[in-house]
Amino acid sequence: MTEETVVEKKKKTFFHHDSKLYRDEHRAALLMIVLPVIGFTIFTLLPLIYSIFASFTNWNGLGEMTFTGWRNFQLMMKDNYFWQTLGNTFYLMLGIPIGLILSFLLASALSRGLKGTTFFRVVYYIPVISSLAAIAIMWQWAYNGDYGLVNQVLALVGIKGPNWLQNVHTVKPAIIAMSVWKGLGYSMLLYLAAIQSVPKSFYEAADLDGANAFQKFKNITWPMCRPVTFFLIITNVIGGSQIFTEINIMTPTGGPEYSSATIVWYIWQKAFKNFQMGYASAMSMILGILIFIITALQFYVNRKSDYKLS
Amino acid sequence: MKIWKKLGLVALSTMMVLGMAACGSKSSSSDSKKHTITFMYRGGEDEKKAYGQAIKQFEKTHKNVNVKIIVTSADNYATKLQAAISGNKVPDVFYIEQNNLLAYVNNGVLKDISKEVKKSNIDLDNVWSYGVNSYRTNGKTVGKGPLYGLPKDVGPMSLGYNKTMFEKNNIPLPDKDKPYTWDQFIEVSKKLTKDTNGDGKIDQYATGFNVNWSLQAFVWSNGGDWTNKNKTKVTINTPQFAEALQYFADFQNKYHITPSAKESQSLDTYQRWMKGELAFFPVGPWDLSTYNKLKFDYDLMPWPAGKTGKSATYVGSLGIGVSNKTKYSQDAVELAEYLSTNKKAQKTLVDAGVQIPNLKNMAQTWADDKSLKPANREEFLQIVNDYGRAMPAATTYNSEWYDVFMTDIQPVLDGKVTAKEYVKKEQPKMQTKLDAANQQLKATAQK
Repeated sequence: MTEETVVEKKKKTFFHHDSKLYRDEHRAALLMIVLPVIGFTIFTLLPLIYSIFASFTNWNGLGEMTFTGWRNFQLMMKDNYFWQTLGNTFYLMLGIPIGLILSFLLASALSRGLKGTTFFRVVYYIPVISSLAAIAIMWQWAYNGDYGLVNQVLALVGIKGPNWLQNVHTVKPAIIAMSVWKGLGYSMLLYLAAIQSVPKSFYEAADLDGANAFQKFKNITWPMCRPVTFFLIITNVIGGSQIFTEINIMTPTGGPEYSSATIVWYIWQKAFKNFQMGYASAMSMILGILIFIITALQFYVNRKSDYKLS
Repeated sequence: MKIWKKLGLVALSTMMVLGMAACGSKSSSSDSKKHTITFMYRGGEDEKKAYGQAIKQFEKTHKNVNVKIIVTSADNYATKLQAAISGNKVPDVFYIEQNNLLAYVNNGVLKDISKEVKKSNIDLDNVWSYGVNSYRTNGKTVGKGPLYGLPKDVGPMSLGYNKTMFEKNNIPLPDKDKPYTWDQFIEVSKKLTKDTNGDGKIDQYATGFNVNWSLQAFVWSNGGDWTNKNKTKVTINTPQFAEALQYFADFQNKYHITPSAKESQSLDTYQRWMKGELAFFPVGPWDLSTYNKLKFDYDLMPWPAGKTGKSATYVGSLGIGVSNKTKYSQDAVELAEYLSTNKKAQKTLVDAGVQIPNLKNMAQTWADDKSLKPANREEFLQIVNDYGRAMPAATTYNSEWYDVFMTDIQPVLDGKVTAKEYVKKEQPKMQTKLDAANQQLKATAQK
């Protein structure tokens, strides 16, 4: 046997399914895969199936379930609070475009290689890594009508600010402002990465063609950032439709006249306060389906999104 | 659907905690003598400490029992307990919130402890009857029937006044037995509302009542109520009720004896009270440990009385119940009895300043003790014994119908809607919700 054939043979046994090494590796790989699958099954799939079932019952979360067919869904159609909280949830999503625009502008500013870029990046990122509960409590104080920081600042310029969280008209904008502030750093960082990864040659070519700054932005920077924008919109919409923590902390009773109550907050109230787990499950089914439709729609609209420059 | 993931996580993590506790009980019960029961409760820091101490004392007298404590914040308690119940990991002994009693009993969560309590020779007559009766139910109404828990405490909500402020302004102190009429209350309040440092801004106010915790006193003393006796009809649409609500709203809109018109969060008025800038503020027994450290002197008085001429207020309660599935029912019931009625335990809890004694004779001694503050602690006992009532939603299947009232009330307080319009508009909304709650009750009671 020549040396070559030995190597060949070794190679063959290594890749052959009967080899011990292959089997060990294979087992390890399976083990790695199995963990998240188990987690997914226990923590997501089973509860999901369970709640699909529960949504067709009048389960109160304590006792037995009685099948009631579509009754929960019929009740929902007539439930004003369901529609109001759903409306509030979408209203609060107005913060998403605002946040995206602001973070894009910030990222553009920071990508110009100014001094202290790292410093600002840290500053804007701090809210992202802070606990949401802590932030909500802090803003709750800031929004206080009498002693709040926000109104103190407004008083400096002679404006008497409202009691933000107790006023039907200001409570939603107040929460939007907080969410934008909280999410700014994350979106900014993604945009920064996207902007900095645009090849310099594109801009050089555009310069040769005599493009002005706006044209360069419109035809190069913005399209190149589209995948990031898409990603941010999707994740923000999904996150936004589940907004709960800040609502529950800042306006524990759903705000004046339910004006800041979101759908998830309402579901939680129904499930854990009013013993209507079945009805709550039904609402979360609808919410889940809504999120799915919106996301699918976004994928459809954005199906042409890629790096191709038009 | 991610919400379910979150809720599932909460449930599962709670279960894990409880599961661990269960495992603990298994391993230690193997020596057949020592075993573990779990006790789930909630409270502020002082309360947690005081109860921890009382439980240690219990363990000393029950050498074979080890009490595993699960303690949560007040906000999280209901959610965590329900998750534990759904996950079939009910703690052996736990707090019951009054308005959950019917649901827990009708769904077989709570154990009927009548027999055990009877056997243990506890003198229930010496415990506040309001406290005990809050945990009796026949599955339809609360107040009579088998016993499903013992009172952890009773919480009379009295009215406090800043004695130092009264003295400084040469106003005679409120009588401790004869309540102010509504007119007198406004008169005194106007005198106490003023600018003390001469900067042109009012910095001392008379009242700063949070509607959630104070409106009841005014409505009831005026002869109004949220529902009829059977809890089947919402009765806010009456002249007495509307008058009381209007009077309450007028504190800020007409009489200007309450800080800033848009103000309603209790946090701020609480701080004002603590700083000595408010004349009147509600005081519950759990406040004493904090208020006794304040720089000014304060005392308790009856709430101002409306048309009925009688003072009124509410008295809350938390109960201690035993799981229907507990393996150690004897020990579990004994723990509930110990915390609720044992003299030594009560002394520990009362000394910590977190509650008034559950035992009547002990309470009287406590109220008569001249060395304690505030002087008129007797008022608490009168409320419990005499004129205190349960919160409107305390005995309905859920509190949704009542929450509607408080959720929509801001425009009335801001003076944009009159009380009369409001009660007319809200009544049908609340009635629908109350009907639904009663429907739910009926459905579970039949089982």
